[in-house]
Amino acid sequence: MNPSSSNVSVEAQDLRREFKTKAEPVVALDGVSLRVREGEVFGVLGPNGAGKTTTIRILSTLLLPTSGSARVMGFDVASEPEKVRHVINMASGAEKAGYDFISAKRNLWFFSQLYGLAPSVAEERISELSEMLGLTKYLDRKFYALSTGYRQRATIARAFINDPKVVFLDEPTIGLDVMTARSIREFLRDQARKNGKTIMLATHNMAEVEAICDRVAIIDRGKIIASGTPESLKRSLGAPALVMEVSPPPKDFDFLTSVPGVKGFTSATDEERGLSNVQVVVESDRAAAAASESVGKQGLKVVASWRKEATLEEVFVALVGRGFKEREEQGGD
Amino acid sequence: METRPWLRTARARAQVRLWSIFGEPLWIIVNMGFPIFSSLAFSLLYLSIGAGSYVGFAVLGGVMVAFWGNVLWSMASNFNWDKQEGLFDIYLTSPASITALLVGMAAGGILATAPTAGIVTVLGWLLFHPVVSPSWPAVVLTFGLTLVALYALGMTLSSLYLVYGREAETMNNVIQEPVSMLSGMYFPSIGAFSPFPFALQVAASLIPLTIGMDALRKSLFFGQGVEGLWLDLFLLADLAVAMLIASAVSLDALERKGRRDGTISVRIR
Repeated sequence: MNPSSSNVSVEAQDLRREFKTKAEPVVALDGVSLRVREGEVFGVLGPNGAGKTTTIRILSTLLLPTSGSARVMGFDVASEPEKVRHVINMASGAEKAGYDFISAKRNLWFFSQLYGLAPSVAEERISELSEMLGLTKYLDRKFYALSTGYRQRATIARAFINDPKVVFLDEPTIGLDVMTARSIREFLRDQARKNGKTIMLATHNMAEVEAICDRVAIIDRGKIIASGTPESLKRSLGAPALVMEVSPPPKDFDFLTSVPGVKGFTSATDEERGLSNVQVVVESDRAAAAASESVGKQGLKVVASWRKEATLEEVFVALVGRGFKEREEQGGD
Repeated sequence: METRPWLRTARARAQVRLWSIFGEPLWIIVNMGFPIFSSLAFSLLYLSIGAGSYVGFAVLGGVMVAFWGNVLWSMASNFNWDKQEGLFDIYLTSPASITALLVGMAAGGILATAPTAGIVTVLGWLLFHPVVSPSWPAVVLTFGLTLVALYALGMTLSSLYLVYGREAETMNNVIQEPVSMLSGMYFPSIGAFSPFPFALQVAASLIPLTIGMDALRKSLFFGQGVEGLWLDLFLLADLAVAMLIASAVSLDALERKGRRDGTISVRIR
């Protein structure tokens, strides 16, 4: 799919954002360019601190870029924020986003009034969105009395209350149980497919991206390092990843980086079993064999090994050499 | 700026305040505590020193301290709390006018505090029978203007507190009692009977409550009409307008600075 061939809802050109700190300026975004089509669910995937939230904040008019430009539905986010705000909405998984001592319904009504919705239209929207999100039975509960899952459903309903053309979501299903996360994802996918909403989703949840995103941009240290459909990105790896259980757990697996054809790896230690689990992203079967051999050369025993279909995490590993977790431990950006 | 969406935003914010307060009756009782007991304490003080004819000052003080507490704790600090909880982001990414939200917050605050003020008045009346000699048009006008000026001050503080972040509550604690004292909540702090030096009286007059309290005492207890209070009313109106402008300007500047520096919407969680 070529985004330039359809109507573009969100467009960013060479976005850069620096934050001043006492020590030295921190570069949160370093030349991000992207285009999101109308009716598309677009994921921005990356480890914590990669620049996802900064991107969303700039596009939703909360933050100005240090340089570069961005337009939402044709309006410049820096110079025309008021126009942008009429056509967008946003929600974050981390927000509380409601007044505790009033009901979910009254909360939604209040937020509808920020967009000047007529009372009858607001009522209709609340009832329609609540129905779709399975919130109807809980509408009269005070916000503080809602479970995390239902509170997040209310937050998502709020993000669609004004019938926005573009919705920015930052980790919308973080901390939710599987069923709630699934039902929110289904709702989001339906909003894009059936109602033509453009949804831009910042997440570090790869399953979420694979489940609902039409396209994804992988971001690391403020730069987009790959973009495309989840399938095309996974296909680009060529060979399935090699997974090995190794005993005894070594200090690190850095020796793998010198094996020809190894693009990167992630590892974790299982203290209880006295094993290390290492996933190696390889460009060919031959490279997988060489990686397995190199483990033996270190005096380590490969207890079990198998091949695994690539996920987006392997794509990330192939691009930066490390997984999300290791990247976050390195300090992200 | 479109009028109807502006009014809808303001009305909705006022409504939220009323639902919140009246939905939790315990809050009404808690909010009544301080005004009632401080009013009671000062009334008893007036009585114990043989100045019973001035006991009305203490009752009036109890009424106004209820509004002052509401301005500080439910108005000035509100945006800061909203910011911490992520609600301020929602306001900013919507087309809603921030001033409309503040006006709604103020209107809701006045209505939500009215029962407390009413109960302090009734209790004071029943217990101490204060002597009044009201000029009602002047009382009503002064009371209305004082509330407008006071809540306009709350709007200004609200925008300033956004800058101070988590220190807002400390700021409230720091200014609550000095302002109550300087503004003459329970005794005249400006004019011939003020215990303060002239310079301090001038400084105190910059607080809208000071002029409002003084004018309320003159109109409620000494029967002074609008014609005798024109300077007070003029100053109150000026202060209200100045505070409203200061609030709008500072919010606008704060939003621009926040978007530039990334400081407008920092969440604690």
